[in-house]
Amino acid sequence: MKFKKKRASVKQDIPTASLPDIVFMLLLFFMVATQLREVDVLVQFSLPEAEFIEKIENKRLVSYVWVGRDERIQINDSIVRQEEIREIMYRKRVELPNVIVSFRVDKNANMGVVTDIQQELRKADARRINYSSLLKR
Amino acid sequence: MVKIKKRKLGEAQIPTSSMADIAFLLLLFFLVSTNIDVDTGIGLVLPEFVPPEEQEFVPLSKDRMAALLINENGDVLLDGNIIAIPQIKDNLKVRITEKIDLPSNRKLVVSVKTDRRTVYNLYIQSLDQVKGAYFEVWEEYAGAKYGKSVRDLTPEELEDVRTKIPIIISIAEPEKV
Repeated sequence: MKFKKKRASVKQDIPTASLPDIVFMLLLFFMVATQLREVDVLVQFSLPEAEFIEKIENKRLVSYVWVGRDERIQINDSIVRQEEIREIMYRKRVELPNVIVSFRVDKNANMGVVTDIQQELRKADARRINYSSLLKR
Repeated sequence: MVKIKKRKLGEAQIPTSSMADIAFLLLLFFLVSTNIDVDTGIGLVLPEFVPPEEQEFVPLSKDRMAALLINENGDVLLDGNIIAIPQIKDNLKVRITEKIDLPSNRKLVVSVKTDRRTVYNLYIQSLDQVKGAYFEVWEEYAGAKYGKSVRDLTPEELEDVRTKIPIIISIAEPEKV
């Protein structure tokens, strides 16, 4: 007796023609969301933790100030002296009137440095600030 | 008659099956190199800079003012009394709540003052408590008046909450050493 293999009469492959399109769509999303240029952070710091924090909606407005655990201050790509802050921040403020200055300060730093930077910021009239901190769990 | 054989044309095709692989490769690269981190932190607006000679002393009545002092030993003083950091929130909440119906020039002002040698983390923890107190009062007020969470309020309602309970945190003028 001859056995015949049972086979469905319809074609059995999944159409893969649109697969590249789907993948490209994902790809595009990630390409847009990626920012490759990251500032080299030259100071060491670990952020404090807090419960009642807010998100900064508009990342474009943010300008960072780092303060490391050795209390060195970094703005943009370089370590700056305290006297230079006012000038730099004033220029940023002219470029971007509602700039938010985000403080990324090591949690064991002294308030003295922070106070000094704040005074400089007030003189430069860049008064919107944000103390960067992580969500406490 | 000679039969002319028509040459059959081979179908010209670019193999597209590997296209997906290439796209996946690119995708993976961008997946790995993306960091979608949202900046989070405690927002604040610094007071305007006034040169020392032009500074005026504006007297504030005692009951409007909540003076928070974090000294270099890590003690936190609220109006001169030592307080544990987690207690700040509840303490302030009471005082904020009782001023909801007062006019805007009689709302609570929280003044935060630090020494030069205060540890930054303590300052953030205290500020966090102050913010937390305000947020919780907001939440309670919105719940009582509109029956919803602050997050779901319309812009006008949010404006009302903001004017009723304004967050006034004043960073004290640093003392010259």
